[in-house]
Amino acid sequence: MRVIRTGAAVAAALTLAATAAACSSSSGSSHSAGGSSTQATGAPESGGTVTMQWVGGYPNFIFPLMPATNTDGYNGNLQLPLWPDLVYAGDRGQSVVNPDESLYSAMTWTNNDQTINITLKPWKWSDGTAITSRDFSFTYNLIKSLGQNWSGYLPGLFPDDVKSVQTPSTSTIVINLTRSYNPTFYTDNVLYAIPLLPQHAWDKESTTGAVGNYDQNAAGAKAVVNFLQKQGSDIATFTTNPLWKVVDGPWHLSEFTSSGTYALVPNKNYSGPDKPHLAEMVDAQYTTNDAAFNDLRAGDVTIGPIPGEDISQISYLKSEGYSVQDLTTAAEAGIYPNWFAPNGVGALLKQLYVRQAIEDLINRPQIVSQIYHGYADPGNGPISLNYTTLTTPLEKSGGPYPYSPSKAVAVLKANGWKVTPGGVSTCTDPGTGSGQCGAGVAAGAKLAFTLAYSAGDPDTDEMEAAIQTWEEQAGIKLTLKSEPFNTLVGTVGLCDQQSHPTSTCSWQLVDFGYDPYSLYPSGAGLFNTDGSGNQGGYSNPQMDSLINQTEYSSSPAAFTQYEDFAAAQLPQLWLPDPDVLLAYKSNLAGVEPANSFSADNDPEIWSFTK
Amino acid sequence: MIAYLIRRVGQAVVVVIGVMILTFILIHMEPGSVARSILGIRATTSRVAIFNATYGLDQPLYKQLWNYTDQVFHGNLGQSFYQQQQVSTLFAQALPRDIFLLGTSTVLALLIALPLGVYQAVKRNGLADNLLSGTTFTLYTMPTFFFAMLMVGLFAVQLHWLPPTAPQATSVAGMLADPRALVLPEATLTLTQIAGFSRYMRSSVIDTLAQDYLRVCRAKGLGERLVLWRHVLRNSFLPIVTILGLSIPGLVGGAIVVEDIFNYQGMGLLFYQAALRHDFPILLGATLLGGVLTVIGNLAADIAYGILDPRVRYAADK
Repeated sequence: MRVIRTGAAVAAALTLAATAAACSSSSGSSHSAGGSSTQATGAPESGGTVTMQWVGGYPNFIFPLMPATNTDGYNGNLQLPLWPDLVYAGDRGQSVVNPDESLYSAMTWTNNDQTINITLKPWKWSDGTAITSRDFSFTYNLIKSLGQNWSGYLPGLFPDDVKSVQTPSTSTIVINLTRSYNPTFYTDNVLYAIPLLPQHAWDKESTTGAVGNYDQNAAGAKAVVNFLQKQGSDIATFTTNPLWKVVDGPWHLSEFTSSGTYALVPNKNYSGPDKPHLAEMVDAQYTTNDAAFNDLRAGDVTIGPIPGEDISQISYLKSEGYSVQDLTTAAEAGIYPNWFAPNGVGALLKQLYVRQAIEDLINRPQIVSQIYHGYADPGNGPISLNYTTLTTPLEKSGGPYPYSPSKAVAVLKANGWKVTPGGVSTCTDPGTGSGQCGAGVAAGAKLAFTLAYSAGDPDTDEMEAAIQTWEEQAGIKLTLKSEPFNTLVGTVGLCDQQSHPTSTCSWQLVDFGYDPYSLYPSGAGLFNTDGSGNQGGYSNPQMDSLINQTEYSSSPAAFTQYEDFAAAQLPQLWLPDPDVLLAYKSNLAGVEPANSFSADNDPEIWSFTK
Repeated sequence: MIAYLIRRVGQAVVVVIGVMILTFILIHMEPGSVARSILGIRATTSRVAIFNATYGLDQPLYKQLWNYTDQVFHGNLGQSFYQQQQVSTLFAQALPRDIFLLGTSTVLALLIALPLGVYQAVKRNGLADNLLSGTTFTLYTMPTFFFAMLMVGLFAVQLHWLPPTAPQATSVAGMLADPRALVLPEATLTLTQIAGFSRYMRSSVIDTLAQDYLRVCRAKGLGERLVLWRHVLRNSFLPIVTILGLSIPGLVGGAIVVEDIFNYQGMGLLFYQAALRHDFPILLGATLLGGVLTVIGNLAADIAYGILDPRVRYAADK
């Protein structure tokens, strides 16, 4: 079963705001990504303290390899500045690998893309010890011992697909895989979540025990990782435990409170080129958006999110000395249709023309302009427009289904429906022939669906209500049902051909909000038949084949073909993806353009200006 | 008295165990997968299985209940599914903060509301009483959330006189070291409580003032000040004692509105977020704690009643 790694992508996407938010683009909205009224341009100063707001984020685990039961994405915000991943995602607003902050200097694929040859940079840990290939093999051994009980585990991927790891020199790593992969996919979506861990300091089984090579056998690796996980969950010792003082990232942890607020100070021995200018970086936790925004309005913080419902306060914030960044986060948003909903509803949603009609009636440009005030990706397909090198001309031009009530009516009529605007359209020509309603659709079947969505966000309420109204133009009746997000997730089950129990698969349409992507936004896990994120059981052999090609084929056309096919196929009903708006003090440079793949937007490149 | 206390404590234990069992069953009857609601929509089947095995959710309900009961009797409230911390640790962090905030605001409110209620009752229907009644009615009817936002908007955002968030220190001593940050949350809670207490007190004093024994006091030559503060106040305070006793369990619910607005991590938000996340251990622990505090509060109120009113005697004295 293929899944999508959430890991740091979730942490990044959850940055700063508790409400769902997602990507923006430069061409789809009236506000360009990275634009702000005033960018600090003076000479950078050394020193100063930045206070950054987080809402609802309480890190509780400092060791980078978390157990499967720990889902707190904010842990990545705490871990990544200290122990960045081997492949650092995102470079100053670009959806690419960051060459400066990645831990390798070269990566080549050989043996028909089955072997990865990595050359590490000659960097050092904060205690002066060199970072070597032994650190990678240490990490690999621990991950292997965790197996499925690792929060970053992806079935069939690392380490399942690793035949062997060799370390021919202290700076080179050779990973032999069990099969060929698309190097971009594997680098961006698999290797990017692998940190390097300091074997010379952490390879021990107890606090008082000596460091050894325990990881090199299965029992020893298990003992080491169990010890490190136990230590890593002890919040009271995050700042005092000597284990966590050995870092290779730009920051050290200097303070951690039980409220989740913590402070970072520069790692003076950081080897990378982006050495922090700031003296201190405080990640301040807030209970709610209200509390955070009040502090922002009072001018007491350096950088913080602007909730969607407070967009009208942007001019006030600017008058108080803040600039506003339109933060692009990498994600997609859509409504999942359930192909296995009972009572004939699943059969309806399996029909592409039905999904097309529903999509034709979603006025995405109006959602962007009226509800999100221009701060949103238009949702023309599976890939947000901020993936500038990956979005196809089809998506850039508005996608295959621009708003068109007349087209919606026409496509329904062409497939055997009596369209009743304002009422409920019914199937009058059942059957599987051309111009008929389709397999499993009975005579008199109604275009009436229940749309469940996550409660608590006024913009989402407004959007769903608008969609409900628009759908009425073709006699598609939507009944809205809002629930708290966790209730929604708990009750809306994963439904597929093999398993679709009524208890968890009676839902019809569901909108969870945005879904974060990794650096390479393939549809793996979302739109392939056995994807763990394929909520409604969408299945199409051609889609499966195209997704496979994005993972295993190096053909440049593979992604384009997948993207256009997915856009047209509507495995989800595409929706606009709201941006995260960030207010920051105007004398703070380096914030823009922000890195939406970085847990805390790379504060090592920030500085106050004179 | 001792026998009375023993009987009450025994009843309390039965009540608390009953509440615990009922809550356990009701929580577990919620539809949907707890594992998926915690792990998210991308949770794989194996991850769900690991989660369920880790927390015993794959066991029959009676066995889960037995394990939980056994755990509680050994002083272990379990581990939060989401926060991955011991529930007792989370309570130990949040509860003192709420006790401090709610306790001090209640004491302040009483110190102001009780004399105010007496004054209003004595001067009832006069200009002062009408003005004060109007003010207290306004405070009483105004939603706490709205009042808090007004306070923040004026004193923090517009005037920059006070910080908009409560002290972020995790200890009470640390909070006291930042008194400016305490002003707005304390004022919000105190003023809204004054409204309620002063109205109760006013009504109670008006009732007491009509009692015959006060006429006897005055006939015996007691000054009006002594009549009011020694006799009227003490007897009028009895309904307030009941209210205070019933408010003790409110510590478990915390002051969620104040916690929300002033970034104050107390029991209210802890419980609310646990409810949204289906974080059962916190919900169960908080309900258990609430049950204990309810019986303690009622017992304390009954004992205080007996102290304040010599006419009230319990089983041992009958």
